[in-house]
Amino acid sequence: MEPSILLDQMNFNLFALKKELAQQGIFFEFSGPLSQTLLAEMGDILKQKMKLEDASSPTILKVFSMVVEQTQNIIHYSAEKMGMLGESRQDLSSGIIAVGMEGDTYFVITGNLVDNNDVDHLKSKLSVLATMNAEELKNYYKEQRRLNPDDRSKGAGLGFIEMARKACKPIEFDFVPVDDRFSFFSVNAHIQ
Amino acid sequence: MNRLNIPATKYTPLIDFDPKSRLLVIQGESYPENTAEFYAPVIGWIKDNLSLLASEPTIVEMEIVYFNSSSSKVLMDIFELFEDQAKAGKRLKVNWIYDADNESAQEYGEEFQEDLEHLEFNLVEKKS
Repeated sequence: MEPSILLDQMNFNLFALKKELAQQGIFFEFSGPLSQTLLAEMGDILKQKMKLEDASSPTILKVFSMVVEQTQNIIHYSAEKMGMLGESRQDLSSGIIAVGMEGDTYFVITGNLVDNNDVDHLKSKLSVLATMNAEELKNYYKEQRRLNPDDRSKGAGLGFIEMARKACKPIEFDFVPVDDRFSFFSVNAHIQ
Repeated sequence: MNRLNIPATKYTPLIDFDPKSRLLVIQGESYPENTAEFYAPVIGWIKDNLSLLASEPTIVEMEIVYFNSSSSKVLMDIFELFEDQAKAGKRLKVNWIYDADNESAQEYGEEFQEDLEHLEFNLVEKKS
């Protein structure tokens, strides 16, 4: 096989992917292993880009906040991990993150694998939040902030509440079964 | 009593607790990967030193541009330690400093303020 043919094929597929993302309004995306330093750099470039587009500082901060909460969720909880010696500090967690615009609304979508055993817990957590209004979310946030986090939580267990408070409509979520161990969990948060 | 000084990074704030000037400063952004680990020495210092230090007027200056949800929890834990001292009659006050165009920093300051009964917690708009 000619090397040039292989290259053409690859460019074609990448261009199709690029077009597909643009059609969905997505202007930033990352798929692969994520880290804290990568998060800080992604945050910087997103802030710069939104500033150039004259987004207001509260909006920029809200989008940044969604990216932080969701990326740290992936870093802490993604079931897709490459571990070394079983030491959690050396695990690399993988996921996908995309930021885009739909009309005058920004959205941050993320996806990662989760253990099938965690699906019900996540579903019920997010379903409850979707029914709450701003005042209820505020009270729930303050109440949870004073409690000790549950066993599964590596942070404060406040991430989704924080996101629900910053989003302009209820957070959308979806679970797609992958195999008998994992499901693909995706979350979409809208910001104005 | 030792001074606690932790320089700021991109995702952790400057911590400068200076017993000589009775000024405790937390300034910057706070979204570490492991919040409990980052704040452990801060909480340790407060538990070891604050009671003695705040027998004279002591000021806490907090200017946090952005903090993630797990930092929010730790900040509440810190304010509760301050609240205990204030309740015991210690002379401690917090100035929560925010930029006029950062409405969330102001709102989040207000939400801490609402949950504190004994601690003097002032919202201070930064002059730009």
